[in-house]
Amino acid sequence: MTARRRDILLSLGFAALLALVPLVFSTRYIISQITVFFIWGLVVTQWNLVLGVAGIFSLAQMALFAIGAYGTAMLAYYVGLPLLAAMPVAALVTVAASLLIGFACLRLKGAYVALLTLAIAQVIYLIVVNDTACFTNPPSGCLPLFGGVRGFSRFGDLGFRELLGSKFYIGHYYVGLALLLAAQVFCIVLIRGPLGLAFRALRDNPGYAMSRGVGKLRYQLWVFGLSAFFTGLAGAFYAANFGVVGPIVFSVSMLLFLLAMIVVGGMGTVWGPLLGAALLMAADEGLREVGTFREIGLGLVLAVFVILLPRGIAGLARKTEAGGPASRAGTGRKQVADSSDAI
Amino acid sequence: MEIFVQVLASGLTLGAMYAVSTIGLALVYGALNMLNMAQGALLAFGGYVCFYVMQQLGLPAPVGVLAAMVVGAALGLTIYLMVARPMLASPAFETQIFIATIGIGSVLQSVILQLFGPQPKAQPMTLPGGVSLGGVVVPWQNILILAVAAAMLAGVAWLLGRTRAGLAIRATAQSREAAQLMGIRIGRVYAQVLALSGALAALSGIMVSSLSGLLPTMGADPMLKAFVICVVAGLGNVPGAAIAALLLGILEAVIQYIFGVQYAFAILLALVIGVLIWRPYGLFGKRQVVRL
Repeated sequence: MTARRRDILLSLGFAALLALVPLVFSTRYIISQITVFFIWGLVVTQWNLVLGVAGIFSLAQMALFAIGAYGTAMLAYYVGLPLLAAMPVAALVTVAASLLIGFACLRLKGAYVALLTLAIAQVIYLIVVNDTACFTNPPSGCLPLFGGVRGFSRFGDLGFRELLGSKFYIGHYYVGLALLLAAQVFCIVLIRGPLGLAFRALRDNPGYAMSRGVGKLRYQLWVFGLSAFFTGLAGAFYAANFGVVGPIVFSVSMLLFLLAMIVVGGMGTVWGPLLGAALLMAADEGLREVGTFREIGLGLVLAVFVILLPRGIAGLARKTEAGGPASRAGTGRKQVADSSDAI
Repeated sequence: MEIFVQVLASGLTLGAMYAVSTIGLALVYGALNMLNMAQGALLAFGGYVCFYVMQQLGLPAPVGVLAAMVVGAALGLTIYLMVARPMLASPAFETQIFIATIGIGSVLQSVILQLFGPQPKAQPMTLPGGVSLGGVVVPWQNILILAVAAAMLAGVAWLLGRTRAGLAIRATAQSREAAQLMGIRIGRVYAQVLALSGALAALSGIMVSSLSGLLPTMGADPMLKAFVICVVAGLGNVPGAAIAALLLGILEAVIQYIFGVQYAFAILLALVIGVLIWRPYGLFGKRQVVRL
């Protein structure tokens, strides 16, 4: 059985198990928490494609998520589109934005990319928050074009309230599950396919890859655009699930939380990000009592993992295999072909 | 004329503040290839230490500034020993140290939050009054910031250009292996560079907070701007960073005057992206032979 088929079967198996959860536990709290896990899972699987598989240190991913969320809210609020139609449109807008950011940043390398993407994300945040001119005047008060500090609310829902009544959150759960399954299968097909090989080749030894005809800008734009679709969709689903979109989606602690998921789970691996997301969300839940120390704990976890276990938990499981960003050096000994079998 | 003086004065002050923290970042990147994302938290830490020493302990201003710089240097040294040194040999050092320092920065910022609370505080290290220049009153505080920044830049230039330690730092930045072969203890150079950059960050934090007040998150914005300046100058280029900081400070003041404060950073960034498309290695960066 090829690795690709194994991973897809595993995804289907996990999804089937998760599909049974609402039948066993009917507590709203558990169901909604797992739905939130689906959202963060969507984001980290796609971010991992850019960060771990392609080795591009982009910090714009949360901004893309925000574009998906704001796009959905704004299309529904201003244009009056039903959410089901607004979500894919917002995802496509996210792809366009991602390609634009890619064009501006991907000509640079390494640290420059990280700084520029971070700065772009910050600028988008500042534009949203600092805009105080009223665009419309709904009964709830002045609303700037991008929602200002308050953000958007009351832009409709996915229609599960009429369909399922007070059990509407179960509908959201299955939508989230379906999206995450699609995103994970998409990642597996990508990572285990020829495109994934090109991304890893450019990450591990750009000189060799380019001399073999793998165009750097072109393929890195591909990974930017492809990963943006599900990231935007994750943002769109976030908007639909919570019914509120505000500037909190840009917060540094959110960025930190998601980055920690990828690092703890294992950058550049197929299952690491989801594993990290599950672990950190569980830990976060456990640390709710000591809420004030949450950020200290998160920061320490991030630093300690990078120092002691740079390849994450998934990397621990397959220590001997090549691949993962730790083997980026691309020395003569470790050739590109070696890392074709990512964990 | 009055407007010109006003914009120039605020632009130079901004530029001077940026220059001090940017030089710290540029030094560290030049020597270690390390982007220190904890710099913003170090900035805030310096501001708060000065506040604590002057307000809580009632000691005079020079003691406060000195204490802040010592604490900043100690934090920089700790970051080197605990975070940077264990992963120096890793081939993915640049990415790993970036992530690790994001974590450290978050820890430091939360520590400030725990110790001093989320309310904004006023920085006691300020000079009242001002001097009249061409019909405009320029606050003494701005002139002090300019003077301190100029002295600091001269000090760093002297350190790098005229001392053996500076020679070692420059040699290490040029080529780690060659410097090591010439008998330079690069571990000590790294420790010096991080301590120096920590002290500079603390000083810059005092300057920033004397104008805008103390907040646990106050370092994020100046750090981002310092990074942008570093990128414009070419990462790791120290004199270029100082020039770029002054230029961008003045440019920011002009943009703020013409278009309003909320668009300043966005416009600045658009210009920076333009510069980078034109010269991907920065305004003062050297074109490298192999650019992949």
